Amino acid sequence: MSRGVLSSSELARYQRHLSLAEIGVEGQEKLKRASVLVIGAGGLGSPSSLYLAASGVGTLGIVDCDRVDVSNLQRQVLFDTGGIDRLKAEAARERLQALNPEINIVAHAVELRANNVRDVLKDYDVVLDGTDRMATRFLVNDACVILRKPLVSAAIHRFEGQAMTYVPGRGPCYRCLFPEPPAPGTIPSCAEAGVLGVLPGVLGTIQATEAIKLIVGAGEPLIGRLLTYDALEMRFQEFSFTRRTDCAVCGDAPAITQPKDPVEICGPEALSRVRRLAPRELELLIASAGANTYAIIDVREPHEFAVSHLPHARNIPVGELMRRIGEIPVAATAIFMCRSGGRSLTACGIAVGAGIKSPAHLEGGLLAWAAQVDARFDVAPLR
Amino acid sequence: MGCTVRIPSPLRSYTNGAASTAVNGSTVAEVLADLDRRFPGMRFRMIDEQERIRQHIRLYVNTRAATHLAEPVRAGDEVHVICALTGG
Repeated sequence: MSRGVLSSSELARYQRHLSLAEIGVEGQEKLKRASVLVIGAGGLGSPSSLYLAASGVGTLGIVDCDRVDVSNLQRQVLFDTGGIDRLKAEAARERLQALNPEINIVAHAVELRANNVRDVLKDYDVVLDGTDRMATRFLVNDACVILRKPLVSAAIHRFEGQAMTYVPGRGPCYRCLFPEPPAPGTIPSCAEAGVLGVLPGVLGTIQATEAIKLIVGAGEPLIGRLLTYDALEMRFQEFSFTRRTDCAVCGDAPAITQPKDPVEICGPEALSRVRRLAPRELELLIASAGANTYAIIDVREPHEFAVSHLPHARNIPVGELMRRIGEIPVAATAIFMCRSGGRSLTACGIAVGAGIKSPAHLEGGLLAWAAQVDARFDVAPLR
Repeated sequence: MGCTVRIPSPLRSYTNGAASTAVNGSTVAEVLADLDRRFPGMRFRMIDEQERIRQHIRLYVNTRAATHLAEPVRAGDEVHVICALTGG
């Protein structure tokens, strides 16, 4: 049977699509001939890949180098309890293939970097970005602009999500919307801030919808329109934006002509210089060292700091650290701490970048302090 | 002049979780100044030291993109703060 022609079993499987004038046999054959790359088999990649597989996209690539963790299962519906510790790309391939044996699934268990992004993207018609790393989000956008690939981008945070579609030559790219990533630590990750499990279900499904529309040529894609969704308020809104002539990648005189890795503020080199203090070690240090030999910097938000903090701690929220780095005494060892140890590690990376030679951070954060040293210490919840 | 500011999820820690808040001002600059009076530190998360809108933030007055702080705001307008999200 020639490529792209539907078999009798496919005609049966996709009959509800075939009844739609906007898809029909011709559209379904386009889907069969199409290839879509899903970047990130997480909250967004789970529903998007399930629906794209079910819809009959002929080749589906899944990029993820992580393994399934039990904390993923609250929202990453591609995986089940038996898949814990498996490579996500592999577990996803099996699940999607079981859902639809008529299609090809390609597992890319790699971390996308400047040196492999071209190779991974080159064979795909449409790219869906559902990564949880801002650096990868910009890398993927730049690569899609340079390789002239349509991109459907979505992101989530707590109860809020956003989505947009880029089509080469037809509208603005992600950098036209947000030219540069936020400073490290200014936006907490889902791990730190939490996320409503069902939220990526909504946004991932929107991404799959956009991909199908682009492939069959139906409807109006989200080109030049940022769709935002607030689950608590149950409100969808749309904000238009245009191509920036000074965009670094799709502008009239682009500065970015090759995908490049962003400077990693928390890269391995910086982190190798960070001293990791266990709660008991910190307790010992506070008891034995002179108060002027160390500076305790609590990088949580002011409302968290107000609930409780260690004696002599000063509050510099991680988002303000770059601006306020001069407040840290040069002669003292800077000890950064936060709720669970994520933001303080980011703070260490910022501090190293700013010339502080050997910062320390409280491993496990104040939650670990409360668990191991001081059970009466009340750690404020994240809001 | 009263308007409503809609707060993006990553900045709601400043507003005790509120998705929107009522403020006064006849320009975006005045609106953000009033917002910062009510929720200290919040403006710096949107506007940098050079008084520019941060690169990962966009401001809209109703559906109109505000590219500078002098953008007028009228009574009853909604000022939307949009923040690039990272989660996937």
